Amino acid sequence: MRPFLFSKSSAINQALAKKNNTTQYIAGGTNLVDLMKKNIAEPESLVDITSTLSAKIEPTAKGLQIGAMVRNTALANDATVMAKFPLVSKAILAGASPQIRNMASTGGNLLQRTRCPYFYDVTTPCNKRKPDSGCSAIHGENRMNAIVGYSEQCVAVHPSDLCVALAALDATVKTQDKSGKTQSIAFKGFHRLPGTTPEKDNNLPANALIHSIELTENSFAKNCAYVKVRDRDSYAFALVSVAAALNLKGNQIVEARLASGGVAHKPWRWFEAEQFLKGKTANAANFEAAANIAIKGLKPLSHNGFKVLMLKGAIETALQQCLNP
Amino acid sequence: MKQEYNFSRRFFLKTSSALGALAFIPKGVKAFYEEVKNFIVPKKEQLPLTISINKKSYAIKADTRTTLLDLLREDLNLTGAKKGCDHGQCGACTVHIDGERVLSCLTLAATVPGKEVTTIEGLANGDQLHPMQQAFIECDGFQCGYCTPGQIMSAVACVKEGHTKSVAEIKEFMSGNLCRCGAYNGIVESIQKVAAQ
Amino acid sequence: MGFFDEPYDLPTAADGRVEGVAKVTGGGKYAAEYKVDGLCHAVLVGSTIAAGKIKSFNLDNAKQVAGVLGIITHLEKPLVPGLADEAKIKEARLGLAVFHTDKIFFKGQPIALVIADTLEDATYAASLVTAEYEKEPAKLDFELALKNIQLTPAGKDRGNIEALNSAPHSVEAEYNIKAEVHNPMEMHATIAEWKADDKLKLFDKNQGVNNVQRTFAKLFNIPVDNIEVISEFVGGGFGSGLRVWPHALACIMAAKLVKRPVKLMLTRPQMFHSVGYRPAAWQKIKLGANADGKFVGIHHQAKNGTSVYENFNEGITRVTRLIYHFNNLKAEAATVPLNLSTPTWMRGPGDCTGDFAIESAIDELSYKLKMDPVALRMKNLALEKHPDNGLPWSTNYINECIEKGAQMINWKDRKATHSQTIEGDWSIGYGMAVGAWNAGRGTASAGIQMQKDGTITVQTAMTDIGTGTGISMQNIAHESTGISKSKIKIELGNSNLPPAPSQGGSNGLSSIGGAVVAAVSALKLKIAEYATMQNEAFKNAAAADILLSDTGVSFKTTNNHFISYTSLWEKNNLNILEVEASSGPGAERQKFAFCSSAAHFCKVRVNRKTGKVKIERLVTVSDGGKIISEKAAANQMSGAAVGGIGMALMEEQLTDERLGTLVGNDFAGYHFPVNADAPIIEVAFINKPDPNINPQGSKGLGEVGIIGTAAAIANAIYNATGKRLRDLPITPDKVLLA
Repeated sequence: MRPFLFSKSSAINQALAKKNNTTQYIAGGTNLVDLMKKNIAEPESLVDITSTLSAKIEPTAKGLQIGAMVRNTALANDATVMAKFPLVSKAILAGASPQIRNMASTGGNLLQRTRCPYFYDVTTPCNKRKPDSGCSAIHGENRMNAIVGYSEQCVAVHPSDLCVALAALDATVKTQDKSGKTQSIAFKGFHRLPGTTPEKDNNLPANALIHSIELTENSFAKNCAYVKVRDRDSYAFALVSVAAALNLKGNQIVEARLASGGVAHKPWRWFEAEQFLKGKTANAANFEAAANIAIKGLKPLSHNGFKVLMLKGAIETALQQCLNP
Repeated sequence: MKQEYNFSRRFFLKTSSALGALAFIPKGVKAFYEEVKNFIVPKKEQLPLTISINKKSYAIKADTRTTLLDLLREDLNLTGAKKGCDHGQCGACTVHIDGERVLSCLTLAATVPGKEVTTIEGLANGDQLHPMQQAFIECDGFQCGYCTPGQIMSAVACVKEGHTKSVAEIKEFMSGNLCRCGAYNGIVESIQKVAAQ
Repeated sequence: MGFFDEPYDLPTAADGRVEGVAKVTGGGKYAAEYKVDGLCHAVLVGSTIAAGKIKSFNLDNAKQVAGVLGIITHLEKPLVPGLADEAKIKEARLGLAVFHTDKIFFKGQPIALVIADTLEDATYAASLVTAEYEKEPAKLDFELALKNIQLTPAGKDRGNIEALNSAPHSVEAEYNIKAEVHNPMEMHATIAEWKADDKLKLFDKNQGVNNVQRTFAKLFNIPVDNIEVISEFVGGGFGSGLRVWPHALACIMAAKLVKRPVKLMLTRPQMFHSVGYRPAAWQKIKLGANADGKFVGIHHQAKNGTSVYENFNEGITRVTRLIYHFNNLKAEAATVPLNLSTPTWMRGPGDCTGDFAIESAIDELSYKLKMDPVALRMKNLALEKHPDNGLPWSTNYINECIEKGAQMINWKDRKATHSQTIEGDWSIGYGMAVGAWNAGRGTASAGIQMQKDGTITVQTAMTDIGTGTGISMQNIAHESTGISKSKIKIELGNSNLPPAPSQGGSNGLSSIGGAVVAAVSALKLKIAEYATMQNEAFKNAAAADILLSDTGVSFKTTNNHFISYTSLWEKNNLNILEVEASSGPGAERQKFAFCSSAAHFCKVRVNRKTGKVKIERLVTVSDGGKIISEKAAANQMSGAAVGGIGMALMEEQLTDERLGTLVGNDFAGYHFPVNADAPIIEVAFINKPDPNINPQGSKGLGEVGIIGTAAAIANAIYNATGKRLRDLPITPDKVLLA
């Protein structure tokens, strides 16, 4: 690990004043410390923001505001979240381990970096880690990599489970920058596709930090599910995951939400499939038809063709589980 | 669908490695292997820290890079917390901070002042083993013993959190602690035993 | 005698292992955990190419790091007498003579070692070391390379394999298994301290202290007794500690260079290429049977990966010769050199791999024959004698393992054809397989020290890697002396103690048990010798006639000759009474063949939509002779079954065939089972002593627990789904695509 200066800040303005492009914030540290040990992140100074940002979950006029410092466990176990946004809770509990969930912050969860093995191996070329060095995964061992939205430069996937739920529920990311300016970024616009700049994971403005996440009340609390397929039963990243939520009137689907992890550089929404389900009867045939729409036109890599079939099965399973949550 | 994607991974392994050899000429690959020659090596930074571990206060000067795990093992001779991966992937380094289970390998020592750290060395009450330690002995909840302190710290938290309603729940909430010996039978039994007390 | 640097005097908890308290309190010291004054840290730097030569180093940046004490490369290094020239290097048979070559054989091969005051400085400085290379093409694609390698006979043919061509029922198939990595939870580590120019003390993680001691005595040209190797607590091994690996030598060289004690602990990614692994394997089986199910014969071909600098033949076809009557048998094998580090023995080496293919093929054949796989196996078991050497089995209860296992899992619930039980998206099925292992025994020594109060300490150099050697030694000592367990202490894992073989191949307890019994006999005779001074009746007494208790010695038949230890000690002016004895295999090895065996039964659920396999039940019944410590033995077997789940469903080390990189070489990338992946494993034993193998009648269990597990799971997946999966691991993608 490269040596660095360490400081704590207790106020958000203080933390923002310290921020420049050689400074990084540390909250839970579950990804950053790991990356620093691998010499992938090499900040010259670290600012501890654990007592800077809110660790509260508070009601708003339209829903819920989640402070960026709310730990994953606290978010998953929060009574309001469990009652009104159970999909969030389910997704969190499908990820990492109890210890990591106790440490990891909500803001940090959004900012975690890919788990592409080549990104983590500093002896191999990787455009995300070192721009213009090449992508080792696109013709390499890319079983865990993307099947949609990737580019010649990068085929990495976003590793978060929480973000898949937040994408499905159209959350809003609230940021604040050095000048004090705040922004609300729609979740679907927060994470990026790799394009020609895979080193950028998201659209967090320069030298800004995530202040909180907002969720708007919805009608998906009753019928939602999170299905994660992985190589082992727990403590593993997704091969594919599906967050599904249905707003049902009797047996009719008023509105549907479908998002996936493990398939793209960002949590991926299946808008066409959602559109298809609207107004349909909630049954296996329609679920299968929706899944078939989702997987149409996907372009798997050399070793991850299976993800297409698996995704189809996971979507069907998740939608079915929505009926018996 | 199935016909369309019915190819084996092995098939692709062959074709892609052959094609890959030709196609794989990343433009910056040469630059990647050329290290910057005039690299300036930064000086290490040290911080005075007061850290409370097992209710004992330690005033130390620590490298900002030092993790809580390395502080315990290398500087304080508290070697109960184990290093099994050093990257948050095994749970052998599990300790409690303010009563919650966390990974000491991903915790920078500099972030710990003001909090109470409990390690396996602080679990027993003098000569009186913690019921979970006793249960691990009685249920043979270990073989080599290397993951054991982490398992026990996690198990204590697992009971406290109330995640003991079924074998499946215990197993899920103990899955952040890998055991290569596979002593999972005894680990689950130990937790059931303590939860029932 | 105080060989522990930091003794702890915690009580042994009742009903647990001798080292239980040390393990649950964090008090037990593993190799990297000893406090040594003046200790500094060393970190290895690995090559970034897979094949070629080192042209030059750039060490300037690393040397700028404050606290760096030295850097070792092949150009600048302390002298290792045993590697002083090419001839000596060859003679040392180290495999990789670390820092004694400019050649690169695999990616990650140590090219430099950075030593610094703190771990942080050493780690950072190591990250700044770079090298220039002359690259050469690397051989990395096992499946491609194996095609050009010729098979050679593995043992003598039986009968004529042509008979298979006319067998009414046959199966012919290929099986592929990806490389697996031991990955014990404790990463290999060494602390080296030169006490004098020719005296070395090592705290080291290994499975055989005497092997380490001998190896370094030779390399540094110093007497064996000048090296002390301490490995009291070993955080798992599974075979990775059976060899002396480059990092240990590197650490000792570092201590020589900086003239201070040095600690080196491998990182987890380094563990994947530094201490061996189970090599990738290709197999082809042709198996035939008559209409009644009697096997006609088998043709077994196998190839496994090895390194370009060493040949490691795993012995995959060995097990083919062990379990069944095959009147016609041909076995062939070959190794495939690759630019990877050298593989080594990993739990159930060879047999585990070979057995998967055989037991899968037999299962496949059973469906063709429309015969229950249990019945098919029972019909063909070689229960009387070893089919290869013709020696009668001393004991072989594999049939009883099968019967008991079938009963435990309710085998009768299994459907004779596949895909018969469906619950929603899940298909349910049953499978079984058996495994066997040539049960060995080595020559070992044990010592006993007795105090005036009747307390005894039983000692051996043998390690306890988690198998329960300590508790078993205590149990054997208790049974053969009659002294209470609370008065029996165990000391092990130190080269100053009576020598013992390495702990591997399921030989540990089989070897040390005899030594403990022999030492107890020596103790009894020694006590009788002193007792004779007080009572002539003890003169020339046989060990078998002497009875020890917590308080004194007496005769088995006439107990009126009781003498208390107190009076014996006082009369003879004794302080500590010490004995040492050795024991090993003898003529019984010419009269009998020996094997341990196991039967594994499995019930799985397979999700048709996601490909996920869930093991619902796993039953393991084994014949390990007499069970000495039931809990520890059951733990071994359930742990091995968990290892079998890993082998069957998730463990694979992938290599990038262009870069030589081991892809995902950490615990996020290399999956082995977490708690949630395993059901509560159901374990049972036949528990009948083998009267010939050793005095205690126990046969090793470590290997048979995993031999056959993967096949039982794969066979259950077939029964559930009709998908015959012959490549391991069976990850969800393979289930879906099959």
